[in-house]
Amino acid sequence: MENRLTRSLGTGAAFAAAFTVLVLPAAANASGVTAGTLIQNTASATYTSGTATGSVQSNTVTVRVDELLDVAVAGLTTTPVATGSTSAVLAYSVTNTGNGAEAFTLTVNPTVAGNGFDATVQQVVIDTNGNGTYDPGTDQVLASGSPTPAIAPDGSLAVFVIVALPAGATDGQTSQVRLTADAVTGTGTPGTVVAGQGQGGGDAVVGSSGGTGNALDSLIATLATVSLVKSATVLDPFGGSQPVPGAVVTYTLTATVNGTGQATNVHVTDIIPVGTTYQAGTLTLDAAALTDVIDADAGTASASGVDVNLGTVAGGSTKTVTFGVKIN
Amino acid sequence: MKAHWITALAATLAFAGSGSAALAEQAASPMQLVGDVKVDKQVIENGQTKHVLVAPDVVVPGDRLIFSTRYRNTGAEPVKDFVVTNPLPAGVMLADSGAAVQTVSVDGGKSWGKLPTLTVADSQGAKRPAQPGDVTHVRWTLPLIAPGASGTLTYNAIVR
Repeated sequence: MENRLTRSLGTGAAFAAAFTVLVLPAAANASGVTAGTLIQNTASATYTSGTATGSVQSNTVTVRVDELLDVAVAGLTTTPVATGSTSAVLAYSVTNTGNGAEAFTLTVNPTVAGNGFDATVQQVVIDTNGNGTYDPGTDQVLASGSPTPAIAPDGSLAVFVIVALPAGATDGQTSQVRLTADAVTGTGTPGTVVAGQGQGGGDAVVGSSGGTGNALDSLIATLATVSLVKSATVLDPFGGSQPVPGAVVTYTLTATVNGTGQATNVHVTDIIPVGTTYQAGTLTLDAAALTDVIDADAGTASASGVDVNLGTVAGGSTKTVTFGVKIN
Repeated sequence: MKAHWITALAATLAFAGSGSAALAEQAASPMQLVGDVKVDKQVIENGQTKHVLVAPDVVVPGDRLIFSTRYRNTGAEPVKDFVVTNPLPAGVMLADSGAAVQTVSVDGGKSWGKLPTLTVADSQGAKRPAQPGDVTHVRWTLPLIAPGASGTLTYNAIVR
């Protein structure tokens, strides 16, 4: 504290000499001189007095630069992140626009005006290896309430927020998620002084940002719905369509996937009705024959039922499964 | 006059305590220089912006500092060709106001002039007009200072 005050001649001379050793290089930061830097000013003069020339030096005045608390947060996701049944990664950057190393407390708020749904926040992860990409298992998960590591002046830290769709979100709905970073040393009205808490031994001063920043990233729900319609045609032994013993019933199962997402692990299954017998080799998918046995193709059939594995089906697709049984 | 001699003697004793022979010689100078610094804070009062000079207890980048040097001729003889040179500390740049009228150097004190007449080399080796941020030194020249006369020289700087 005291060494930031003006020194007067005499009492300050010894101190001024000691301070010379402490001068730190002024970093050429966009955010200004690094906190803790000592600005020292000394004037000198030459003159003539009578026939003699002389020189004189002033005392050195020293000003210590205090820490400015400023931060900027940006959303790095320019287009809404498509989010289906798996988690989505929202990327943000937190930039220390102050002049001292500072840690920031991160808060994620998924409730933003205009949201179609409020995402479920699963994790906040910092880009530990600094490659700008979310690396599960490598990048550090930030425990709730823990601040970031200290970020150097002008330095940036990428932050990933892992979110999932809540139950009830429907296809095409959009949502925004807000990330807020608050300087750990203090926030508030610009100009507020946090005495003695600045980097480099001085005070900390809340900057024009208020020591806080926030940004939004967007996501869009891309879901798929599956509907199944079953129909039957009967061919009796006499060429008609009467469901009499000996008649063959061909069942058609039509699976329709709607939405902008995709349905995964889709199976079409059915049981063989009581009083009928599966007709071997009649299973088809989209008019292509499938073998009854369990093998490389998508379908299996037995006396008890059929199972066709459609795997992942994109929205807007229709899959048709048929099989035949004979009425006993 | 007697009072001035006492001041000079006190300064000599203080400097002798610091163990610097060079400083002790300067302390015998008839000219005395006392530096000071204040922060020029803008406060808004009843909708009017006012400037207040305060001690530099809290200083952040962008703040305006006013460095002053008070000189006094404590000798019995007039002092002539009094030239005060002040290198700008690394962490500050000369403020725009006054930059055009002060005698400055943009080359570490080798050459001097008013800022609008000076140029600096750009990265391609060409010359461009000097800006306040290029100033390395400020200088004042006073032709004559009578015994007992004093005054204050100031320059304004912005913390980078």
